[in-house]
Formats: sequence, C-alpha cells, structure tokens
Amino acid sequence: MKAKHQRLILALAALVALVGAGLLAASALKDEAAYFYAPNDVRTKGVEPGKAVRLGGMVVKNSLKRAADGVTIRFDVTDGKATVPATFSGIAPDLFKEGSGVVAEGSFDAKGTFVATNLLAKHDERYMPRELEGMNYNESTHEMKAER
Amino acid sequence: MNQWAFVIAAYAVTLAGTAIVSVVSWRAMRGAEKRADQVSDRT
Amino acid sequence: MHRFANPARFLKIARPLTGWLFWPGLLLLLAGSACGLFVTPADYLQGQTVRILYIHVPAAWLGMGGWSGIAIAALMQLVWKHPLAAVAGRAIAAPGALFTAICLMTGSIWGRPTWGTWWEWDGRMTSMLVLFFLYLGYIALGNASARQAQQGGVSNVTAIFGLVGAINIPIINRSVVWWNSLHQGPSITLRGSSIDGSLLWPLGLTLLGFTLLFGAIVLMRMRAILAQNKVEARMQRLARG
Repeated sequence: MKAKHQRLILALAALVALVGAGLLAASALKDEAAYFYAPNDVRTKGVEPGKAVRLGGMVVKNSLKRAADGVTIRFDVTDGKATVPATFSGIAPDLFKEGSGVVAEGSFDAKGTFVATNLLAKHDERYMPRELEGMNYNESTHEMKAER
Repeated sequence: MNQWAFVIAAYAVTLAGTAIVSVVSWRAMRGAEKRADQVSDRT
Repeated sequence: MHRFANPARFLKIARPLTGWLFWPGLLLLLAGSACGLFVTPADYLQGQTVRILYIHVPAAWLGMGGWSGIAIAALMQLVWKHPLAAVAGRAIAAPGALFTAICLMTGSIWGRPTWGTWWEWDGRMTSMLVLFFLYLGYIALGNASARQAQQGGVSNVTAIFGLVGAINIPIINRSVVWWNSLHQGPSITLRGSSIDGSLLWPLGLTLLGFTLLFGAIVLMRMRAILAQNKVEARMQRLARG
C-alpha cells in the first residue's frame, strides 16, 4: 500500500469518526439546545411555574384581546397540537400579529397562563409581495393558489 | 425607526467590508508581485 | 491532481482569471443589489427590510462555503501533499471570516426590526458565531505556525484544525431543522423555493456576483503569497552566496 493511500484512508476514517461524534453530540443536545418550548412540549414535559423559559408558536387567530388597562394583551399560543394562554404588558414588535409566529420570554403562573416579559416576532420561511398575501400556501410544493 | 435605515445600514456594512478586503488583497498582490519581478530582473 | 501544482503553471491561469472573476463579479453584485433595493416589491409581512436578504444570504453562503474550501484544501494538503492547497487554505481564511462577520452583522440589523431583537442565542446564530471564532482560530494558528509551514501556506496542524472545524458546517445548515429556533427554516430546498419569484431573482445575481468576487479575492491572496515565496527564496539564495 502506498503512503498516499494510507494517508487517504486515515483521513477518511478520522472524518467519519468526527462527523459521527458531531452528529451524536448534536442529537444529544437536541432538547438542551432548543431555543424555546412549543405548547406541546409544555403539555408533555411540563414546565414548573415561575421557571424562566421561552414559549414559541403561532398566535391563534381571533384570540388577541386587549385588557381594560390598555397595555396588557392576552392571546393564545399554539403549535397545532396544544394551545397555551399567554399575557403580556408592554410594547409588542411590529410583526407580532394573529396567525403569525411569536417567541415569548417569561414564566408560567400557577394557573398555567404564560406571563411574558418580552415578546419576539418569529416569521416563517415565506417571502412574497403584498399582492399575494392571503393566498393559500401549499407547504409541500411551495405553490400559491388564490383563495376561493 | 424607519425600515430603510436598517436596510441602508446593512448594505453599507456589506459593501464597505467587501471593498476593503478587495482593495487590501489587490494592493498586497501588486506589491508582492512587483518585488518578485524586481528580484528576477536582477539576475 | 498535480497538474496545477507547479506555481508557474498555476499563475499562468490565475493571472488572467483574477480579472475575469473580479469585474463580472463586481458588476453582478452591484446590479443585484440595485435591483434588490429598488426594483423588487416589499414583503407582505416585513415590508422593506426584506431587502437585506440579497446580501445576508450570499454572506452566509460565502462564510460556510469558505470553510468548506478550507476543509477541501486541508484534505488535499494532508493526503496528496498538494503544495498549493496549503496556500489556498491560508488565502481563503481572511475573506471567509469577513463574510461570516458580515452575515452576523446584517442578520443582527435585520433581526431588530423584524424579530424585535439584535441578538438571541438560538441554534442558527450561535453556530454561525462559532464559525466566526473557528475562522479566527484558524488564522491565528496559521500565522503562529507559518514558520514550520511550507511555502507560505498553513501548517499540517492548521489543516487538521480546518478539517475538524468542518463539522460545524452541517450543524449550521441543519440548526433550524433540528432545534426550535427564532431563525426561520430554510426557504430554498430541493423541492423549490418559498420565496416568491418576484422577490427571489436578484438573489441569484448577488449570489453569483459575491461568489465570483470571492474567487477573485482568493486568487489575489494566493498570488501575493506565491510572489512573496519567490522573493524569499531569492533572498535566501543571495544570502548563501
């Protein structure tokens, strides 16, 4: 066997071991490296009240209500499997709206309502001009169809 | 704040960085190649 | 593989290629930026800030592509002992680090008006910041071991570091799929693009433009190193008499 081939095999073996180790570490981190809890994670794993966490999901349509004091808002956050009520007092980002993504920082109170201290807007991977807004989006084909 | 302010800031950062690395690389290359030509002329 | 190992033969191609890559690259990226700024419509949700896409994505691509280049060069250096591979690795590092930094900065500027934050420690942003630090480590290691290295390239230890660091590239790519992240998922996949065509096309121009320009910059830096080698070799011969 030529020295060149030996080096090639050595390098490839090292590369395979490295990629394996990396993927293993990444999958072990899967839960730890999650930036936020989805409502379904909260339901299945449980988050103790008072613990500072982030909650992420979609703001349920027609769930956004402004309280009488004018600064507190109430809304529901969903991931399609579970829904969690949330409140927030303060200035929400411009992109925070119903039917759009949100990441809220805060903690759960004893009744299971998420009390947010900060709101971040999360948008999805779609970009389109305003004329196309409201069209139906097919997630598997990325096709837009006019709403009927 | 105006959205355009963010857009312009992002483009300014990018174009400035690209221009600087282009000019620095080009000048380093020209200087080095000039010196290389000079030493080969001496033979 | 070793056809271009001879620096003279490499330079014969690299000299004209530098200009051929640089000027079309510059033209394309300026045209793409102008179209992205003034021609395409605003996004339905984000409004005008969506225009940062046309420079943020190429910067991310070059930051990750640059390290992929470093890894390929490292493999050629370690396995085939290709003499130009070490020079190529060293030439890629600085522009790669710069575009990674540009990606982080434009992302931060984009994040403030859309997400409501300059920086969050989510999977995508953290792994991209790690890439920037990897570049800094590679550059520092390459400079520190330059004396043992051959012909102005990086040392073998630095090449190994480049190879090991490549594990971060698939992690960056998959970070938004594996983990809940603030950064949105991939828009352009094998199935197609979720960016509407009317917003997408300038991205092709800037991607190609920045890539050509990056190639030209790498060639310029390689030529500088090779020219310097020539000077140093001559000086040593003179000193020995």
